[in-house]
Amino acid sequence: MALLSFLDREHSIAGEHYSRWLVPPAALSIHLSIGQAYAFSVFNFPLSQRIGVTHSAPGDWKLSTIGWVFSVAIVFLGLSAALFGSWLDRVGPRKAMFVAALCFGGGFEVAALGIATHQFWLLLLGYGVLGGIGLGIGYISPVTTLIRWFPDRPGMATGMAIMGFGGGAMIASPLSTMLMAYFKTEQVPGAASTFVTLGILYFCFMMFGVFTVRVPRPGWQPRGWTPSEHPKKMVTRENVTASLAIRTPQFWLLWVVLCVNVTAGIGVLGQASPMIQEMFPGSITAVAAAGFVGLLSLANMVGRFFWSSLSDYIGRKAVYATFFALGAALYAVVPSTGRSGNVVLFVAGYVIIMSMYGGGFATIPAYLRDMFGSLQVGAIHGRLLTAWSTAGVLGPVLVNYIREYEIGHGVAKADAYTTTMHIMAGLLVIGFVCNLLVRPVDTRRTVARRSPAAAA
Amino acid sequence: MSETSPQSRPSAGLVLRLAGAWALVGIPLAWGVWQVFRKSLDLFR
Repeated sequence: MALLSFLDREHSIAGEHYSRWLVPPAALSIHLSIGQAYAFSVFNFPLSQRIGVTHSAPGDWKLSTIGWVFSVAIVFLGLSAALFGSWLDRVGPRKAMFVAALCFGGGFEVAALGIATHQFWLLLLGYGVLGGIGLGIGYISPVTTLIRWFPDRPGMATGMAIMGFGGGAMIASPLSTMLMAYFKTEQVPGAASTFVTLGILYFCFMMFGVFTVRVPRPGWQPRGWTPSEHPKKMVTRENVTASLAIRTPQFWLLWVVLCVNVTAGIGVLGQASPMIQEMFPGSITAVAAAGFVGLLSLANMVGRFFWSSLSDYIGRKAVYATFFALGAALYAVVPSTGRSGNVVLFVAGYVIIMSMYGGGFATIPAYLRDMFGSLQVGAIHGRLLTAWSTAGVLGPVLVNYIREYEIGHGVAKADAYTTTMHIMAGLLVIGFVCNLLVRPVDTRRTVARRSPAAAA
Repeated sequence: MSETSPQSRPSAGLVLRLAGAWALVGIPLAWGVWQVFRKSLDLFR
């Protein structure tokens, strides 16, 4: 297909006058789009009122049924990131971004057909399966490229892109609400038309990334930057393939590190709204609680950029040690600020916790690059994201079941959160130990000394 | 703006392209952040 040859890696090598600062916006266009997934819940009620329009009528999908769509999407995110990581490293970012745009945008269109004809399997296939594959490929597609363009600041570069995933929901949520209000009639709640519009919008927005992204030419290095003659102890100058990487203890230690960090964060995110209302009965309304959730989302987004950028200066291991030490302390202490009635301290504590949750996602690609080199960092990152899928199940299950058990045994609602938070603090201590155990990879496992040609 | 040749200066075209690219992603992101920030003010009212 000569028409699509512009997608090939060899046709996306940067020219002499290309600026590497065009790569972060290209990556952001992908992550801001796929970050929409976190705002899927705005469709819950409209989708459950497809027949009744203003209320759920007999035959309408139940909320619990609709919940499967997001869960399937996240499962396919993890699966596709793990399965297509090696392919992505081979074909380059442009083709991968194009496939992600096709799957994600196309998934919306198939899902819209499912909504319009009220066939749940089409909605699940469109948004859950196709969209989920778009999410997975899109999430990891710019990571390797950014790391190669910014060998001097890999944490900042990947943090900038992954920050977009946190910010995507902030755009998608109000945008979807506005579109549904525009398309709503007396016959339909407007969800199908909104899906069609979002599919087209996201496809076009992601295509901007496809056309803008470039890979550095062989031998390219940032102006005035040369690799240090005495590299840091925790930064390898070798390259480890993805198949070898998953056989190292370092990979699995980092898997636990990510899993624990995400589990603890999801535990807070999932119950933030009821938690603050029950901790401060009478003083925090549902509207104010929604504001609290919004503030946590902001902290999640900003933390992605802040912590990953900081890791370029103090090292990845130190950043994760901070997450786990400070996080465990905050999880242990913050519930007592709730009991003392101090809203500001309570909110401040959780804002810091959520910033570290986001920071954990954003700093991991640079940590992997430090451990395994940049040769197949995309594929290794993809495989590590299975920790996210695991945490996505583990976090809510752990939090909900412990809470139900506590309340069932006569513990007051506000106090039940305290136990959950203390268990989260314990999980973070496990993460702290795993992070402490991470050592440089045994050089016998490496495939090649990192050279400009190998990295290009 | 080549990152490898210290003598080269960014051309007007490249500066424009950079500004356009950053605006394209920055404006929607700023709008989204503002929407959330506005809502979160309710927490302290």
